[in-house]
Amino acid sequence: MATWILGVSALYHDAAVALLRDGVVVAAVQEERFSRLKHDAALPVRAARWCMAEAGIGPEDLDWLVFYEKPLRKFERILSTSVATFPRSWASFPRQMHAWLGDKLWLRGNLCSTFGVRPEKVLFCEHHLSHAASAFYGSPHDNAAVLCVDGVGEWATTSLWRGRGHTLEPVGEVRWPHSLGLYYSAITAHLGFMVNEGEFKVMGMAAYGRPRFDPQLAQLLRLEADGAFSVDLDAFRWHWHPTEAAGPRLAELVGPARFPGTPFTPELAPGDASPAQVAESQRHADIAATAQRQVEAAMLHLAHHAKAQVGGDALCLAGGVALNSVANHRLAAQGPFAHLWVHPAPGDAGGALGAAWWVWHQVLGHPRGAVLDRADLGRSTPRARSKDWLDDLGAHPVDVGDEAPERAAADLAAGRVVGWLEGRCEWGPRALGHRSILADPREAQMRDRVNAHVKYREPFRPFAPSVIAAAAGEWFDIPPAAAAPARFMLSTGPVRGDRRESLGAVTHVDGTARVHVVDPETSPAYHRLIAHFGELTGVPAVLNTSFNLKGEPVVATAVDAMATFVRSGLDVLYVDGYRVESR
Amino acid sequence: MGWLRRAWITVASEVAWRIPGRPQRLLHAFSLAERGSMVDVLFAAEATPRRDLRRKYFLHALDEGRHARVFADRVRALGRGDRAEAAVEDSGQLVEAGISGGLTLFERLGEDDFLAFVYVAEADAVEQFGVYLDRGLADPDTALELRTILKDEVFHVSYSRAELERMRKDGKPVDRMVRNRRLRRLWERYLRLTRDIGARVSGVWLTLLYFVALGPFRLVARLERGGWHPVPPRAPDALAAARAEG
Repeated sequence: MATWILGVSALYHDAAVALLRDGVVVAAVQEERFSRLKHDAALPVRAARWCMAEAGIGPEDLDWLVFYEKPLRKFERILSTSVATFPRSWASFPRQMHAWLGDKLWLRGNLCSTFGVRPEKVLFCEHHLSHAASAFYGSPHDNAAVLCVDGVGEWATTSLWRGRGHTLEPVGEVRWPHSLGLYYSAITAHLGFMVNEGEFKVMGMAAYGRPRFDPQLAQLLRLEADGAFSVDLDAFRWHWHPTEAAGPRLAELVGPARFPGTPFTPELAPGDASPAQVAESQRHADIAATAQRQVEAAMLHLAHHAKAQVGGDALCLAGGVALNSVANHRLAAQGPFAHLWVHPAPGDAGGALGAAWWVWHQVLGHPRGAVLDRADLGRSTPRARSKDWLDDLGAHPVDVGDEAPERAAADLAAGRVVGWLEGRCEWGPRALGHRSILADPREAQMRDRVNAHVKYREPFRPFAPSVIAAAAGEWFDIPPAAAAPARFMLSTGPVRGDRRESLGAVTHVDGTARVHVVDPETSPAYHRLIAHFGELTGVPAVLNTSFNLKGEPVVATAVDAMATFVRSGLDVLYVDGYRVESR
Repeated sequence: MGWLRRAWITVASEVAWRIPGRPQRLLHAFSLAERGSMVDVLFAAEATPRRDLRRKYFLHALDEGRHARVFADRVRALGRGDRAEAAVEDSGQLVEAGISGGLTLFERLGEDDFLAFVYVAEADAVEQFGVYLDRGLADPDTALELRTILKDEVFHVSYSRAELERMRKDGKPVDRMVRNRRLRRLWERYLRLTRDIGARVSGVWLTLLYFVALGPFRLVARLERGGWHPVPPRAPDALAAARAEG
């Protein structure tokens, strides 16, 4: 009899499930791919239903259901913080209690009724242990230091673990309210972006700036002699205010907050803005650059501590901060570890898979299994059904079958922007060639076109290149330690100097790119597409961005894809071998 | 009852459009509602077994998505004072779709009742936007957009009404279904109102509890310091520990 374990993460953001059969991942998918609500936090009912249907089982077949955090410990932290920040927390307390007393406190019962499992089958894993397990058990390393950095779990905001064989032992943790993730989020909010969504934009903005606010911001985030960090809690409010992350001190140090939607026209891209507007945008860029540099320095500081405490030559990374691909590159290039491994869904969604793996390996005592070398673990639709949908929608799909990669490459070479849907959705936030918008990476104008007319997003935001593994080293300077994160588009790297002109659309203003290295074994169709594009143009890389519009989750089905196709400036759509042209 | 509804809409509209800052909030609410509708109707396009209806739902969903963007653009043009709300809007994230308990609106209602729902909701929207235009409440640019949107809404009413008429010929109790949908909308509004009132009342009680019960403990409570903290060793029985919620 096989052992089935369902991991669940939910109720904060990015709800997800992961289903294991004897420790092997059968499916892992975020709820947003079903509900179409970006970062959907609701209990992932539809995702679970799909995973179990995919495996041919029902809820009664599940041996364990594991939730990715300990709710009562989290509640304890919220109560303790409310007391410790009395009376400033008076406005946040009723809101928090509403959510907890009304719903979250009765989680075991909710999980049982929602997913149809018996109470004795429900387990709970610590939040940071879920992250640590997601990073370690999917890695190829038997001995590794495991570092988890995020906003907050129960109490930990940063944690260090020693991974050995199939066990994870805690080494130490930084505790709430000192949080690197929330510090970056506070800067994100100050720069006019939405928390848990705009952090990527801050990273992109940082490349336009200089870290000239270092003396000011160093007062707010300090690297401690013990190898950790601390935050000036008088300057921030995330631990007591219901909606604001930063207090007036941040504005005193770096100037007023940017109003959301303000055009960004720094010195490197001034457009036709006035000198005053350029100066203001440059200030925003400099704040972003300083905060980004600080986070990189903090990650390096933590990594050196991890090396001293745990040793070994491998570092596994998870938690929301591990999505900071620039910091990951710096860890790989300048850090003390020879190998870096980052889970493809290092944020809260990945906790679902981590928790499930933790049950299989650590609670049930099973040895390590296969390395997680692919991210196409999510939702798919039978090809015939997609065809019916496309027919019914009047899309007039043409069946190009197995030639789809070559046909798409030819479209790209002809300057067309392509929507590419193939096989199963990616696990995690990155589009890795299964739900991607693709374009010719050679001319910078293509970046502007895709930003303005396809995805309707800010013009300063860069695009990533996907490059075939065999050519990656010729085009990008990827440190050996970043080889694994680059497979999941979780590290940046400089575009080689002599190649920058050939990659105008994907080379960011600082000469780097968030490289996605494509492997022929794990992504055969996508690899063929890029390789053929290389044969046609001499450039074995394509511009790759997630197949969605601003504010929407990545598409999942042919109907989603058509809705995005029609509303955007895409020229051609491929759905599992069917080609649709824009009319 | 139609005159009563129209009177209510007229009074509410006059209030909503004449108070400074309220039109932005109203348009923002429309933007959310339209985006939610887009999601709901797109699900219907996927789920319907009727191939002839799939395309209609799909076009309807595209209309709703376009309306959401137009309303959001109008909010931006009229100016929004609140940073937090503007940040959310800038990301385009807020959606109020009818997903409940893992079921979409279409799955909960089924095709027939979903069509009745579409008809009632769209007819209400036509009436509401008609009042705004008839009474000249919206600013000229918003009014221009409303006229275009109104045409789309009329199409949505037409196709859903045609489907209801078809169902009537098949002997289905269409009038009762439409009446039930209207009553259901009223009931849901009532529930929303009572939930809001309940939240405010409990908010008052929880605030009182905060000051009375938590205050004395402030003397002993401290926030954690920064830097590394040791982690207590894990319990030897991993399964027993895993069963615990705390």
